Amino acid sequence: MVLVYDEVRLVDVLDSGDAAHLAMMKRPDLGVTFTKLHCWTLTEYSKCVFMDADTLMSYLRGKSSLPHQIPAGLIASTLVCSSSVPPTRPMGNFSPPAQRMAALMASGDQGVLNSFFSNWATADISKHLPFIYNLSSIAIYTYLPAFKQYGHDAKVVHFLGKLKPWDYSYDTTSKTLKGQSQDSSDMHPNFMLQWWELFFSSVLPLMKEEYGDQPFHSGCTESDIHADVAQMHISHHPPPPQLSSQERKQKWEQGQADYMGMDSFENIEKKLDSFLK
Amino acid sequence: MPLARSLSVTSLSGLEEWDEEFDREDAVLFEIAWEVANKVGGIYTVIQTKARLTCEEWGENYFLVGPYMESNVRTQVELIEPCNAALRRTIDKMNSSGCKVYFGRWLIEGSPYVILLDVGFTAWSLDRWKSELWENCSIGVPWFDREANDAILFGFLTAWLLGEYAAQCDEPPHIVAHFHEWLAGLGLVLCRQRQLPVATIFTTHATLLGRYLCAGNVDFYNNLAEFNVDKEAGDRQIYHRYCLERAAARCAHVFTTVSQITAIEAEHLLRRKPDIVTPNGLNVKKFSAMHEFQNLHAQSKARIQEFVRGHFYGHLDFNLDKTVFLFIAGRYEFSNKGADIFLEALARLNYLLRVNHSDVTVIAFFIMPARTNNFNVETLKGQAVRKQLWDTAQTVKERFGKKLYESLLVGQLPDVSKMLDKEDFTMMKRAIFATQRQCLPPVCTHNMLEDSSDPILNCIRRIGLFNSAQDRVKVIFHPEFLSSTSPLLPMDYEEFVRGCHLGVFPSYYEPWGYTPAECTVMGIPSVSTNLSGFGCFMEEHIADPSAYGIYILDRRYRGVDESCNQLTSFLFQFCQQSRRQRIIQRNRTERLSDLLDWRYLGRYYVSARHMALAKAFPDTYIYEPHEPTSATGFRYPRPASVPPSPAHSLHSSPHHSEAEDEEEPYDEDLEAEKDRVNIRQPVSIPNRNKNQTVGLPEKN
Repeated sequence: MVLVYDEVRLVDVLDSGDAAHLAMMKRPDLGVTFTKLHCWTLTEYSKCVFMDADTLMSYLRGKSSLPHQIPAGLIASTLVCSSSVPPTRPMGNFSPPAQRMAALMASGDQGVLNSFFSNWATADISKHLPFIYNLSSIAIYTYLPAFKQYGHDAKVVHFLGKLKPWDYSYDTTSKTLKGQSQDSSDMHPNFMLQWWELFFSSVLPLMKEEYGDQPFHSGCTESDIHADVAQMHISHHPPPPQLSSQERKQKWEQGQADYMGMDSFENIEKKLDSFLK
Repeated sequence: MPLARSLSVTSLSGLEEWDEEFDREDAVLFEIAWEVANKVGGIYTVIQTKARLTCEEWGENYFLVGPYMESNVRTQVELIEPCNAALRRTIDKMNSSGCKVYFGRWLIEGSPYVILLDVGFTAWSLDRWKSELWENCSIGVPWFDREANDAILFGFLTAWLLGEYAAQCDEPPHIVAHFHEWLAGLGLVLCRQRQLPVATIFTTHATLLGRYLCAGNVDFYNNLAEFNVDKEAGDRQIYHRYCLERAAARCAHVFTTVSQITAIEAEHLLRRKPDIVTPNGLNVKKFSAMHEFQNLHAQSKARIQEFVRGHFYGHLDFNLDKTVFLFIAGRYEFSNKGADIFLEALARLNYLLRVNHSDVTVIAFFIMPARTNNFNVETLKGQAVRKQLWDTAQTVKERFGKKLYESLLVGQLPDVSKMLDKEDFTMMKRAIFATQRQCLPPVCTHNMLEDSSDPILNCIRRIGLFNSAQDRVKVIFHPEFLSSTSPLLPMDYEEFVRGCHLGVFPSYYEPWGYTPAECTVMGIPSVSTNLSGFGCFMEEHIADPSAYGIYILDRRYRGVDESCNQLTSFLFQFCQQSRRQRIIQRNRTERLSDLLDWRYLGRYYVSARHMALAKAFPDTYIYEPHEPTSATGFRYPRPASVPPSPAHSLHSSPHHSEAEDEEEPYDEDLEAEKDRVNIRQPVSIPNRNKNQTVGLPEKN
């Protein structure tokens, strides 16, 4: 991480202590998300962009295009301020009252910010991050039409939901995803693949360097396509070990020609064509 | 006794004249088949009937090559010394190298030369040759397949013969080698592999896979393009045979099949489109008396009627003069031959006839050999009873005749009431008592083995046609070949066919179809399908085939039920005809015989051989395919001037008065004129030869 980033700061894991509530929502990990609130303490920077670890930037944007203040990403249809991509102007203190309030809100930090910045939706539209800056890669949201319309312009893709890209495994040769079968909340495969491609090309080499000889779970697999394909086609005979010509002749004479493989007529035809003018 | 007709080659003037053949120069023709002088199936008939014509064309340069079988040689072949010097040297050389090669004349019309190869004698070379086959072609053959092993020996011997002959010729020869079927095909592959100076032709009369697939209840024609042919052959344990077949098709200069439908089959199953279609012909014998065949029909019909009288004793409640005889014959392949659809149509026909209160009776004969345990006692008894009645009638007649004579001698008119005395009546009463019969006339003439699993019998049980009195359709299953020495029905096949009214062959798979062809040549109308070679051939040549007594069932583009209904309607129409109409229809059918004669069909073989020579020896021979002229062949509805099918001139009621029958005219010349319009050669067939020799200064 240090290689990639200029500064790495460790943050205390604030736990809301409201485990019961959160467990009810089946998102116990939300408790950890309160740490996001610490980015308001990053006072040495003038502008901040908070990116959840489950987001993917598909467009690197210049700072200048960032809207000035808030950017709690707006989800177009619900106008709920999502806490995931807030470029913020760090404010110095983050008072305990806000923290307490947060505890009451079922939706974790999202709720806090919503109430804190409750006038956003109406106050200044320019402070709203355009939709394309916070795009969820879950098609079941009602904004699928919007996704279709704006999807190609997506700058940041946020992988909401339980299954994150790293929960799948990636086949480097065929460039496909394998792993858990889809539940009804299907991800758009495009963005998943993009995530993995980026991971494989930029991050994995660094991780390999880091780990050296130690094996680690990279989530990538290199599959042998040819073996797979061959496996599909040979239904009657297992892929034969390489037989000598004499052995193959004997097989024919036992009535066991490998007619789907080595002895298919295509091969015989090649032999015939060699002496036909 | 049949005599050869002395009229011109074809009475069908609509067919174009055949140009003189191309200049063969010094070409030599070898025709190679497993069935040369060796009857196994239909290919024997093809070669044997065509021999005379081929001999006329090629003269001393024609040799048939087949396997040596001692029994055949004893009965069919006269062994002689080879006349051709190069051939003599060839045979001597081979015989001194461990072979047994025989030369002789085949004792059939044309007396062609035959070269017979003793494959058994050379069996010691089998392993060596199998290795050579593997090395050169990557094809192996299982040790347990006798026929395939024979094919290897036969193939290598043939190639040896041809190669040696080419070497022994003083000047480089032009050899044409025509191979029939996969059993002979290996010889072709080897000729090519050894680069011998041979123009090769491969003719397949059916495909191995085709027959197997059809027999397996596959929707064959609709899935032709989709079969994985390697897999199908392999799964059925015939992969090596299939490889030999395909290899021969691949390597041949010219590839031919016997019909349009087989060409389509071959295109998909052998993966090569035939270059030309070479249909199978017959040697048509014409009678010097124009309609002699009609007399023969009447005679043979009378003999069948005798059999029927015996078979149906005690239940003869129908009029034999209004009885129509239908038949189906061939190998016992229940669905391939269409016996299933025929039976179903008979059931429907029965219903139709009953509903219309028809007085026509139909008797359907099934002549398909199966495993039997000799004749059925009931059927034999029937013939015995009939004979007994005949004898009784004769005896009574004798006595009656004598009394009449006596009376006339005395000068007295006979008193009829006194002519038959008590003794006579007793005799007749006794005879009538013998005709008492409790059971119905049997459906089958023999005791079948495994009769509970027999397809025809099971179908009959299902449709319920048991020859009862109310049924207008009766069925007789004769599961044995006909023979003139049979105690039951003493007729041979040809006689029997002549005596019937209609042959029904609704085949699902039939590459050519000699059975309907034979019917046609004898002037008997027939039903075939557009899936049979014969049916396709007729459709191409004739505008309205049913007017000529050729009914062609559509099984290719219709479902089974629809085809069955079509067959039922054909049969029903046929039954509605009067005797006079049937006679006229038979005349028209017989006119088609020239279409099936080798004198017409031989031209396709000539083209094939010419094509092969041009491909193998392009410096010496040129072949130009004939450009299709307009308006040949029939793909359009018939013109208005054509005679209507007899069925169309029907009255709605089945009852005709005798007077109306006589009104249907039949004029020979008019018919010939109509033939000219109706019968044409199809578009795609070449019929013109070109001969241009290039580069040989001594030719003019």
